[in-house]
Amino acid sequence: MSESESAGEHPANAGGDTAAATDGERGIRSTADTPRMDAEESLLAVRELDAGYGDLQILYDVHLDVTEGEYVTVVGPNGAGKSTVMKSVFGLATYMSGSITFGGTDITGRNPEEIIHEGLGYVPQNGNVFTSLSVAENLAMGAYILDDVPDEALREVYERFPILDERRDQKAGTMSGGQRQMLAMGRALMLEPDLLLLDEPSAGLAPDLVDEMFDKIDEINESGTAILMVEQNAKEALRRCDRGYVFVQGRNRFVDSGRTLLDDEEVRREFLGG
Amino acid sequence: MGIADTYSDGRRYVVDRPFALVVGLLVILLAVDFVDGLATGRIAVSDVATLVWDGLMQGLVVGLAGIGLSMTYSILNFANFAHGDYITGGAFSGWAVTYLLAGLGRADVGSLLLIGAGGSVFGGALGIGVTATPVAVLGGLVIAGLFAVVLALVIDRLVYRSMRDQEGISLLIASVGVAFALRYLIAFVFTTENRGVTDAGGVPEVRGYLLDGFVTVSAHDATLLVVAVGLMLSVHFLLQRTKLGTAMRAMADNEDLARVTGIPTERVVRATWVIGGALTGVAGYMFVLWKGTIGFNDGWLLLLLVFAAVILGGIGSVYGAIIGGLVIGLTSSLSVLWIPSDFARAAAFLVMILVLIFRPEGLFQGRSTA
Repeated sequence: MSESESAGEHPANAGGDTAAATDGERGIRSTADTPRMDAEESLLAVRELDAGYGDLQILYDVHLDVTEGEYVTVVGPNGAGKSTVMKSVFGLATYMSGSITFGGTDITGRNPEEIIHEGLGYVPQNGNVFTSLSVAENLAMGAYILDDVPDEALREVYERFPILDERRDQKAGTMSGGQRQMLAMGRALMLEPDLLLLDEPSAGLAPDLVDEMFDKIDEINESGTAILMVEQNAKEALRRCDRGYVFVQGRNRFVDSGRTLLDDEEVRREFLGG
Repeated sequence: MGIADTYSDGRRYVVDRPFALVVGLLVILLAVDFVDGLATGRIAVSDVATLVWDGLMQGLVVGLAGIGLSMTYSILNFANFAHGDYITGGAFSGWAVTYLLAGLGRADVGSLLLIGAGGSVFGGALGIGVTATPVAVLGGLVIAGLFAVVLALVIDRLVYRSMRDQEGISLLIASVGVAFALRYLIAFVFTTENRGVTDAGGVPEVRGYLLDGFVTVSAHDATLLVVAVGLMLSVHFLLQRTKLGTAMRAMADNEDLARVTGIPTERVVRATWVIGGALTGVAGYMFVLWKGTIGFNDGWLLLLLVFAAVILGGIGSVYGAIIGGLVIGLTSSLSVLWIPSDFARAAAFLVMILVLIFRPEGLFQGRSTA
């Protein structure tokens, strides 16, 4: 997550309650009938999560679900705690209370080294490739927990991202932003995760690459991998996803299908710039 | 390009980088003096060759010890000042075993294990040398490496591990404390006197005639060369060709990413101490074998050169440590052509400072391990 996010949202949280918090059941407004899911049917189920960094609480009573093969995005203004949700799931934030289950296993408070064994892959926003390692070495590190680099997965990654195949021996540090992003995703896909966590995959990319990136993510999702994505580019993310969450100041605000959220008057006015 | 351009370019250069000019002139002056010395016979070619060889040997020791320092720096992010005393610790443990193996039955075990503290046994009398007592030397070499590994791991567990999340400066200061504790523990056990450990007269030598004099290469020089180069190549192979080595480079590159990728970071840290420690212990043992004497301050004195080499090469870079070691070794050795040998060390540091002025990131840009 970005530095500004953790620094920026503290005063807002400390400052007082939000309208959302008083707005119906746990502050979540469902614009259509998306019933609250049971943990059993969700691949990832986040319940009543409070989390942050050290003593600084960022998330308040957060709920979030991703079912098998689903494409879910989290959008919201700066400092809404979008990245923090993802980091909490992957054991990188400070857990305070609540629960996180993945594939029926309680992963609350576990560290990333353990969580990766459960079938979760994570692509951080910044510094998501080993710059001094070659493309092939980066991908091999993605499969570190296996005894050998899995041929099948490696072939699939190269097929999905032909540019990586062409540049196997190139140092990741000498690649462009878009290529690095693909390498980062490729690295996370080496373990063929059930759920891929993507933190702002379009950040810092040239506009013409953004579409390509989202297309790649669609393809990954279509091949059966569930996606949980945090995005700054809210419109595009909601257009592409199955379901979207809108977060405000560390709390759930809206949840619905991406399409419905896009069409919703209030969401458009407040979060999508009209 | 016209004369005016050349002139203004030159002037700009002088104004912008007066220091470069001074250094350039100095280098030219030394080179002219060197050629003149050779031409007039004031400097003997064979002496130069001897100094180069000597510098190479010293450089190999510094480089070997520097790899461990650089590795731990790149992965743990702190400069371990106790490193010099790991060198000494390795040397003393190894030589205690060498004495024991070489002198068993000829002197009492206590004096042997204390490496003849208080003049009770002499290495010369035991006839220690790589050809005369190969088993004792090999055994000592292995133990030196193993002991330094154990030492590094124990200290990491007791001191550094609980401080892993602290700033580098806290760890650095803790390591200075560890350095003192180790050094005086060694002095307490083995006494503070410097003593000869090899049978200097009994080491086979090859003398070659070179133009105007003899150049001597001893069996101990050759041993150092083989061991050091062999280990350096092994480290290269490890880093570039093995999964563990790649993981070490990955962790040096980006520790947070290494963690989310599933690389077991604590295990990589431990592997780093094991490899760095082994190289350090072996470097200490070889250093003593090569120079023929042992003292409780050896590692500490060497550490300054090791730091110079590692910083010169780009701290964190293993290859930088090797190249830096050779540059430092050759510089301090060759500097005696112009300055008294007491100042040889100063010359080495001068070169380090000069390199850093022109290339502040070090020769290999540091923090990459590769």
